[in-house]
Amino acid sequence: MVELTDTQKDFMNTAFKLAYEALELQEVPVGCIFVHSSEIVATGCNTVNETRNATRHAELNCIDIVNDICKSRGQDVRDFFAGIEVYVTVEPCIMCAAALYDLNVKSIIYGCKNDRFGGSTVFDVASVLHPITQSVGGFRAEEAMSLLKTFYKGTNPSAPPHKVKLKNKDK
Amino acid sequence: MHSWINLSAKNMSDSKRRKLQTPFYPVLSPEFTDETPLTQVYVDTIKNIKLISKVLVELNSVLPISELCHLKRARGRDILVCQCSGDLQSEDVHQILKEKKFDVSQLEGNIKKILVAEIAPKTKKQYQTVNKLWPCNFHSDKYIEQLHDNSLFGASEINDHIKYMHIAVDIAKFYNSHSGVTVIDPSINSIVAVGFDTQHNNPCQHAVMVAIDHVAVTQNGGAWNPTRGDTVACNNKIVSGLPSEALKFLQEKYTCIEFGAKKFKAKPDAETPSDGPYLCTGYVLYVTREPCIMCSMALVHSRIKRVFFGAKNNSGGLGSLCQIHTVKHLNHHYEVFGGLLEHECSSLVTVCS
Repeated sequence: MVELTDTQKDFMNTAFKLAYEALELQEVPVGCIFVHSSEIVATGCNTVNETRNATRHAELNCIDIVNDICKSRGQDVRDFFAGIEVYVTVEPCIMCAAALYDLNVKSIIYGCKNDRFGGSTVFDVASVLHPITQSVGGFRAEEAMSLLKTFYKGTNPSAPPHKVKLKNKDK
Repeated sequence: MHSWINLSAKNMSDSKRRKLQTPFYPVLSPEFTDETPLTQVYVDTIKNIKLISKVLVELNSVLPISELCHLKRARGRDILVCQCSGDLQSEDVHQILKEKKFDVSQLEGNIKKILVAEIAPKTKKQYQTVNKLWPCNFHSDKYIEQLHDNSLFGASEINDHIKYMHIAVDIAKFYNSHSGVTVIDPSINSIVAVGFDTQHNNPCQHAVMVAIDHVAVTQNGGAWNPTRGDTVACNNKIVSGLPSEALKFLQEKYTCIEFGAKKFKAKPDAETPSDGPYLCTGYVLYVTREPCIMCSMALVHSRIKRVFFGAKNNSGGLGSLCQIHTVKHLNHHYEVFGGLLEHECSSLVTVCS
């Protein structure tokens, strides 16, 4: 596996801080930052429960922030995304991977694999979209995974409870 | 000529008639549409047919075929002995049986290699093909058969599908977008939300993503669309999933259509169950163009029930590039139908983009 530079480790550290914040907020603990020219330009965590929108993943929240920056600076959005490095604690899901590949982001560095929705683990989006984006994972993977496990052990505050009850009855 | 057509239509079975009139096609997992994969097995012949049940019991106990349990063990006097594998020669088959203390003198010893179904057939059509090779067990699933032969919907349901896709086309035209969406709650036959492409504003704001966020607004959420509060329609439904200008336009054009979502009740705390809608659970989405991979997966996350699209999309995730709705390992799957109002829908793409 590739070793991260000290700067990259610091960026990953920032992403992890956001994941811990998400856990506090009862959101799926995934943290993400976007870096451009060695500078953090966007930070985000999962806001699915807050927005009642299942697509509000950390990566898409960061995309929105960068989009707003570009619009305020009058900068071309697609040009700017080509220089973005993504640091995220969990492998982007199929939706986020497709969005990031479509924007031609420079690279994606992630923590643990996403064995429920992963954009390479569950379905390899790159095999059909052939992106220029470089993607590499496995950094602080155990810590990222144990964060997820902590969350899924608790109850999802927005999920309808009757389904869980039915499953228990079956058992 | 005309009367002959009518006559033949009368004699047609319900399912055949529906199939002919259905203006869309199901996008099914290859496991339903592909041919069943085949494998080779060794077959021998029993000398005395009267002893067949005894021989089969013996064989099943010494040499069970757990990977091929969808196959019957006998066809007439022929008996399926075992699956062919790498270096197992036909001469060795009796040796294996002997080692297992099976009395091989009951068999002719005319061992043949034949092709059989490797996995259980999923549809009647697959069953009919592989059953000719070697008899198979098969339990027909009525719902899968109807889905497969496109006879799931009756005439009035088909008219509803056409109507809702027409409205998606209207929304696309109204917003000068190359793609339009309507989201329906079929349990109350009501339009919950609409969507249209605003990629000029944000590269992720595809029509489907916008529609999903509009649905979130009806549940007091939403990220792109500021919550408009409990905007309640006269019949006690929440219409905040439609921007006011779109609602006004559609209400004027379609006087007999219902608008709005069932009332959403937020949970005061995590312990109290919510009886309102959750994400897009139970909803049906109509989109003029096949959604891309991002949008297709967004619909998995949103737990949509069913998706209809009009025109195909080269970068589509529901049949063109891949089939996100049939990826085995995902926790939610939805049904997809394509080609509904294909002509009107494809003309949107060429006019506006």
